[in-house]
Order: sequence, then C-alpha cells, then structure tokens
Amino acid sequence: MTIATFPPEPKPDQGRSRYFGFCTDAKVIGIQYIVTAFFFFLIGGLLAMVIRGELITPQSDLVDRAVYNGIYTMHGTIMLFLFIFPVLNGLNNLLIPTMIGAPDMAFPRLNAVAFWLVPIFGFLLMASFFVPGGPAYSGWWSYPPVSIQNPLGHLINGQGMWITAVALSGVSSIMGAINFVTTILRMRAPGMTLFRMPVFCWTALAAQSLQLIGLPALTGGAIMLLMDLTFGTSFYRPEGGGDPVLYQHFFWFYSHPAVYVIILPVFGVFSELFPVYSRKPLFGYLYVALASFIIVGLGLIVWVHHMFPSGVAQWMRNLFMVTTMLIAVPTGVKVFAWLGTLWGGKLRLTTPMLFCLGGLFNFVFAGITGIMLATVPVDIHVSNTYFVVGHFHYVIYGAAVMGIFAAIYHWFPKFIGRMPYEGLGKLHFLLTFIGANLNFLPMHPLGLMGMPRRVSSYDPEFTFWNVVASLGAFLLGVSIIPFLLNMLSAWIRGPKATHNPWNAIGLEWLLPSPPPEDNFGEDVPTVISRPYGYGSGQPLVEHQDEIERRLELMEASA
Amino acid sequence: MTTTTLPQPGAPAEHEEHPKHNLTGFIIFLCSESVIFLAFFSGYALLKTSALNWLPEGVEGLEWQTPLVNTIVLVSSSGTIALAEYFKNREKMLLFRGFWLMSMAMGAYFLYGQAVEWSGLRFGFTSGTFGGTFYLLTGFHGLHVATGILLMGLMLIKSFIPGNYQGGEQGVQATSLFWHFVDVIWIILFLLIYVWQ
Amino acid sequence: MTSSSTRSINTTAIAGLSVWVGLIVLVSYWMGQQAHRWLPVQASTAAPLVDDLFSFETAIGTFVFLGVVSVMAWVMLFNRAEKYDDTDAVPIEGNTLLEVIWTAIPFVLVMGIAFWTIRASDQLGTLGPMEHIHPRNPVEDAGGYPGDRLPAEQVEVIARQWSWEFRYPGSNVSSTELHLAVDQPVTFRLVSEDVLHGFYIPAFRVKQDVIPGRAIDFNVTPTREGVYRLRDSQFSGTWFAANQSDVVVESAQDHEAWLEQAARLPLQPGLSLAVSEYATRQSRSNPGWATVPPAPPPQVNVPGSSAQPHQA
Repeated sequence: MTIATFPPEPKPDQGRSRYFGFCTDAKVIGIQYIVTAFFFFLIGGLLAMVIRGELITPQSDLVDRAVYNGIYTMHGTIMLFLFIFPVLNGLNNLLIPTMIGAPDMAFPRLNAVAFWLVPIFGFLLMASFFVPGGPAYSGWWSYPPVSIQNPLGHLINGQGMWITAVALSGVSSIMGAINFVTTILRMRAPGMTLFRMPVFCWTALAAQSLQLIGLPALTGGAIMLLMDLTFGTSFYRPEGGGDPVLYQHFFWFYSHPAVYVIILPVFGVFSELFPVYSRKPLFGYLYVALASFIIVGLGLIVWVHHMFPSGVAQWMRNLFMVTTMLIAVPTGVKVFAWLGTLWGGKLRLTTPMLFCLGGLFNFVFAGITGIMLATVPVDIHVSNTYFVVGHFHYVIYGAAVMGIFAAIYHWFPKFIGRMPYEGLGKLHFLLTFIGANLNFLPMHPLGLMGMPRRVSSYDPEFTFWNVVASLGAFLLGVSIIPFLLNMLSAWIRGPKATHNPWNAIGLEWLLPSPPPEDNFGEDVPTVISRPYGYGSGQPLVEHQDEIERRLELMEASA
Repeated sequence: MTTTTLPQPGAPAEHEEHPKHNLTGFIIFLCSESVIFLAFFSGYALLKTSALNWLPEGVEGLEWQTPLVNTIVLVSSSGTIALAEYFKNREKMLLFRGFWLMSMAMGAYFLYGQAVEWSGLRFGFTSGTFGGTFYLLTGFHGLHVATGILLMGLMLIKSFIPGNYQGGEQGVQATSLFWHFVDVIWIILFLLIYVWQ
Repeated sequence: MTSSSTRSINTTAIAGLSVWVGLIVLVSYWMGQQAHRWLPVQASTAAPLVDDLFSFETAIGTFVFLGVVSVMAWVMLFNRAEKYDDTDAVPIEGNTLLEVIWTAIPFVLVMGIAFWTIRASDQLGTLGPMEHIHPRNPVEDAGGYPGDRLPAEQVEVIARQWSWEFRYPGSNVSSTELHLAVDQPVTFRLVSEDVLHGFYIPAFRVKQDVIPGRAIDFNVTPTREGVYRLRDSQFSGTWFAANQSDVVVESAQDHEAWLEQAARLPLQPGLSLAVSEYATRQSRSNPGWATVPPAPPPQVNVPGSSAQPHQA
C-alpha cells in the first residue's frame, strides 16, 4: 500500500486477513459492515425478484401463497435490518473518526462486537428458511395476532427466530449508537466545535440519538410478542384481554423514526457531496445542521400516522397528521439549501454527483407522496395499498440507497486507495435510476386503484402496471452487476488514488489514501474554520499547506 | 492524548480503550435503557385502563404492606451506596467497602422479598394481561437489581487490587448510577402496580 | 457593463421566470384535474371529499416537484464546470432572508393542507364508537345470529381467516356478498373472530381495520349503483389476497326485494376461496410451509358468486 511513511511509522501490512476476523480498527469494521450488508443485499434482491416474478401475473402461480408471504416478509426484514442499517453503520465507522480527526471509535471492542452480531443474527434469520414450517410470514411489521398464531406449534419456529434476530439487531444497533454518539461528543479534533463539524456527523448524531430513544420501545414490544408467541401470555392476545393495537404503537414508535435513521445520514451524504461537486460552500450550514435535530424531535411524535385506519380516535388522527406535515418544513429547508448550493456552482457530473442528483429527484417525489399520506382521508384510502409500497421504496431505494451508492463511489478512493471506474459507475447510475422509477412509479396508480399490499394474487384490472413494475424490478436487478464489477475490479487493480482525488475539503482528505490505522495518530491538526470553505481560500486546519505538501511528496515518492 | 477538544500533547495515543469516555457511554446507555421501562409502563397503563376485567378471577388485588417494606429497603440502599461513594472519594476504603456491602445486602434482601411475594401469589404470568404485565414489570426490574448486585460485587473485588481504586473509579461511579436508576424505576413501578389499584 | 443593459437582462430574466412559473402552474392545474382519473369510480359520499383533497394535493405537489426539478435541470445545463476548470465557484454561504422565506412558505402550505383535511375528515365522519367486547362464544356463531343485537339499518360484518360474512339482523339474512341500498346511510359493526383484517372498499374510499376483541361502528352512504370489490387490507395470513368479496349497491326497491328473497333461502356454505385452495394444497404429498387452516365457510342464505364483473 502506498501510505506507509506519513506521520506514524510504517506498520507492516497485515493483509486482507484482518477483514475476516475480530478486528477493532474502525476502518476495517466499516468495510466489514459494508461488504456483509451487500452480501445480504443480494439475497434480499433475489427475494424481490421472486416477488415481482409472482406479481407479473394476477394469479398466485409462481410460488405457493405461504411461500410468497414468507418471501416478502424476509425481503423487508433483510433489506432493513441486514442491509440498510449495517451499510449505514459501515459508513459511520469509516467517516465519523476520520471526519472529526479521532484515531478510532470511543469503544473499539464494543464496535467489533456490534459488527459481529450482524452475521450472527443474519445467519439466524437465514436458518429460519430451513426450520419446519418455514420462516416468519407476517410481514416485517409482525402484527399480532397473525404473528403469534404459530401454525405448527413448535417451540422453535420461523417467527420466534425472526423476533430473536430483530432483538439482536437492536442490541447491535444500540451498541453502535452509544459508540457513535460518544465518539462524536468526546473525540473531536482540537478546534472542531460542534458548529465546525461536517454535516454528515450532525446527521449521524441525530440518527443515532433516534436509535437510542426509539429502539428500546421496539425491543420492549418484541419481548412481549415473543412471550405471547412462546410462553402463552396475552399482552396482544384478544382472548386473554390483550390489545393487538398496543403492539402497533410500540412498533411504529421505533419504526417510523427508523426511516429518519436511514434517511438522515443520506441527507448528510448529500450535504457533503453537493458542495464538493459544485465547488461552493453548503448553503446555510447552520440551518441544515440544526434541521436534523428538528427532524429528530418531530420524528418521535408522528408514529400514529401509520395507524390511521387501525382504530384510533379522530382527534389523534388530526394531531398526528399535523405533526407529520410539520416534518415537511425542516426537510424542505434541507432540499432548498441543496438547491442553493448547486445554484451558480461549477458542477462536475461525476458518478457520485449523479447518484446524489438522482437521489434528490426521487426524494422530492417521495416527500410529496409523503404529504399525501399524512392527510387522513387520502391516507385512509391508500394506506396498506401499493401507494405506500411505492412511497417508501422511493424513500429507501430511490433516495437512501442511491445516496449510499454516491457515498461509496465518493469515499471508495479514500478508504481503499484506488479509483473506481467512471464508465461503469455511470452505467450503474443510469440503470439504477431508470430501473427504480420504472419499478416504483407504477405502484402509485396501483395503490390509488385499490390494490392492497402484500397480496400474492390480484384482480386482472391491475395487470398492466404490475407488468411494468416487474420489468423495472428486473432492470434494477441487472443494475447491480456493473456496480459489483466496478467495485471488485477497482479494488483489485484500479488506478492508485491520491489523498484528495475530488479536490474536496475535510479532515478525511488530509489523510493518505487509505489512511493509516490510527488516522492522524498524535498529530491531529487544529481545525480553524467551518467546513465547506470552497472558494473562500480559507484553510480548514492550521499548517494545511505543510500537511498537503507532505502528502504530495509521499505520493510522488511511492 | 489529542482526542478531546482541548489539545493535550504528550500522553501516548491509546488505541484500545478510552476510559474517560466510559462514563459518557454508560450514561447514554442508561438513558436508552429507561425507554424500555417507559414502554412497559405505558403498555401497562394502556392495558389497565382499557381492560374489561383487569383482575383475574379469584384475585382481589395485591397486598402492598410487605412490598412497601421492600421498597423502603431498596430506596434507602440508594443512600448507603452514595455514602460508600463519598468515602471512596475520601479514600477511606474500609468505610467504602462496608457501605458498599450493605447496599449489596439490601438489594439482595429486596430480591428475596420479591421471591417470597411471587411464590405466594395466586395468579401466574398467563393469567390475562394483569398477570402478564405484573410478572413482566417486576421480573424485568428484578433482573436489573440482580445485575446491579453482580456489578457491585465486581467492583468490590476490584477494590482489593492494590492501587486500583483510581482506575476503577469510573466503574464505581457507573455502578452507583445504575443502582440509583434501578431505584427510581422501582419507585415508579411501585406507584403503578401497588398504589394505583 | 452599463446599467441599462443590466436592467434589460434583469427584465428578460424576470419575464422568462414568470413565463416558466406560469407554465408550471398550468401543468400543475392540469395534473390536479388528471388526478381524478387515477382513482376508481366514486360510489359513496366520502369519495368526492377524498378525491378533491387528493386532486388539490396533486396540483400543489406537482408545482413543488416541477419547481425543484427545474432548478436541478437549470444548474445541470448551465452551471457545469468547463472541462479543465479546477477553480471554485463564488462562495455564497447562505442568505437569511431566503432561508426564512423557504421555511415560512412550506409551513403555511402544509398548515393550509392540514386545515382543509381536518374539515374534510369532519365532514366524512365515518368512524363511530369503538367498544371493547368479549370475544364471542364460537357456539353462538355456528347456528344463527342474535337478531336483537342491532337495529335494522345496521349490517354486522364478521371477518375471518379467510372469508367475509354480512348479517342483516333486521331481516334475518346473512350473506357472503354485501348488498346495500343506494343513497341510504348504513352503519357497519365490524368484528373479527381471529386476527386483524381490513375492511376496504376502494370505490367508497373507506377503510377500517377490523380488530379482534373490539366492535367498531363505521358509517358509509353509497351513492352509485353497481358492483364493487371489498378487499381485506390488513395482512391476515396465508389466503389474505383471496379474502375478497363483492359489494352490490342497488336501488332501495331492489334491496328490499333481495332481503325478502334471501330470507326465504336455506342456510348453505358461503364463498371461501381459501377453503377450496387449502383442500387442494393438503392433498399434495408435500403441502409446503405451515399455514393456519381456514375457518369453515360461514353458513349463509346467499353465498353470492365469485365470477360477476365488478367496476372497481
């Protein structure tokens, strides 16, 4: 590797074996997270292909209905708990310490434990395909009483394994959240006040705070669900006086904020990348940073909008509609700030920039359907239909996954030390953008026409849009091929990356690519200005020229 | 160590552990842990207020005098553990150990009282939502008390390692925080389950 | 550059912007009108309220979306860096006035929508009381129905895994096909015998989860004759997708006639696609992943038919 001589003494290259064991280096853990996440992404994607294959015809003909229900349940669970959360934790691990100039996370061993829980509960979830009776089939919500019916009556059953896996995922996420929050609060470089922190760290702090507040509620609800399923208690069992709606409160109290846990770091990625590729400072930094916490506050008091048709009183519907709509305000602030950043800039349409622009496009669309879903009468018509499925796939795939791809292309040179290929990257973008829109846009008319979600068969009048959606899904399936090709070939024999190939401003770009194990080691530079000083000519840290000269010398000699 | 906002050159960079941050991390954990109790409390309140028949057949209600004695013992152990901490800060290790052990004993007495109460009850955890929530809340809290006693035991053993009380300081602080947390949770729990009948 | 030329550029810019905004407003209005076409036929008093609100939101949403996309398209077309231009752009860090404006406008906008919505929901008034009930005795259900439970104009809806049963207590009729008289308010009493179900008639634009252990009163007034679909909208297990039923809205006379005729018919098994599919499934050598067996089809006067064409 190229870096060996900058500040700390060269460490012997410990080789790729580090990536396969219990390693406490945040950068190794970050890559472990991301690679594991993409392994599960492929499995979840294959399940999605089966779902769209089944739905290309009105009849239930490709797989048995019970199998279909298991597959869509596992698709949702895998994509959320084994892809999105781990991949974001991977980005957090790579970016937070390097962006704030810390040598590692605050609790490196806890960090490694949190990561290794992911393959463990991933294995548990995969194993549930092979237990008698098949995996959980009640949707990723697992609403009781369906989820506590346990048709075979075995003590070990798919649903029980599902709950255990989700609880373990919660434990892993809490460990991660404690680590990220402590690291951001206590380990920033000298001079880096909170309001000199890159927006990605602000959004990560906001998102991880949400995890800390929301996840325990889900865990509590899940414990009660597991007891109902396994030990015959009746918290949610109507026969014993329990209330199935209670579970929905627990579930959505976490699972709505979970969407913000996913999208906030992606807002962070947008806020990092738009300035770099339009050569302008982030418009209204302070406002964008604070908007994340307004979203946190509001995000905790909107969960009932998932339950408008579940039998909640009218005043509650109105109250939660208003709080939900208020979220549009801080979110709008961010969108307009990005437009302000782009306006009058000098845009470079590189692969990461294209993914950001595409992600923003999809996100604005999703935001608008989100407002529609917040208004009670419209929501009552389209809730639990394909309209909702379309809406959240626009958020999760259209915006979040595209933002994650942008982040991967942008920071790949930094952490791998090699450049990904632009041609393959742009092909990947094009296929993803077209595929996602072709897949998820038709779901909106389907929902408006009244096609419920989670169905394995449907009335023939829904056929046309379902065929379009399925073709889009298959295109989306193909779109992952150029990505994998790009990553693998760039990792093995891509051109060597300099320390700052995008000419970006940030502490991480003052490190060699890839950074040494303890980042800046003892020579943490003192931060003297706000991030995103594009065009101002102001250095970010003391002795910036000297640091950069040393990096360049080192790169020249390598 | 140059990891905080203040530049402090000189100390060697420690890659494995950052003991200064342990307490921060632990406080964040406690905040998060309190939400799970909050979830159980609100679930209890919701199930109780909406129930048609709250108490299972043949159950009149809960006896509250003995649990009140238990409560007083547990809550006063918050005082003894604070005293222990006070003496530790003054480096009076004997008094520290004495009060520390006393807090442990009071916690153990509470658990014993709980076990006695459980064994005398005429309903199980499958007796409707009343039975379920009662055992869930008291059991989950009892688990925390047991964890607290174990942690205190660990800290007590650590105090015998010569010169260790400086390094173990955060552990003592964290354990005592955890103990106060467990006590506060119990007070809410007692009000919810025994007083509000 | 002279001041007159600056002014003329400004005038051109403002004129161009106005034309563009005008165009977007027109397109948004058109989209708002189009929105009605994406929805099924309007067959209840609730439908126009929901559709108008949706149309209004579509228009506003289109305006916001096209506005944002216009800016994105503009910068992608005209604010590109030259090929070898490595320099930075003009560093504008923010503009407080602009930030206040774009906080205030969305705020006013969403509050306006919320106000409209609250008024519309009040007008809808679909939701009646939701009482907690004891789960009923299954023996009671096997035979008939307690005719004294509900007044005549009410329909008791019983959801099961996986069939719907409709009881008209005033007329001693039960059916697996929902018959309603046009322009007459009806109150459903929704109960479930096993798990959550969703009572959803897209043509009526109404939906309500059916919650075991509770009875939920739910008001609707159908306004258009025809055959529509009732779909289970809350996932209820293996045959969730097949848990559908027909809703027949007919004139008051036809409805009376139907009730009278139905009351004379003997009880027979109602429609349940799940029961027949389950039988085929169990006859296979390897029935596959476990499933809850379907409840036996309800004994009803009118099973209805699964083959008649529906309008939405």
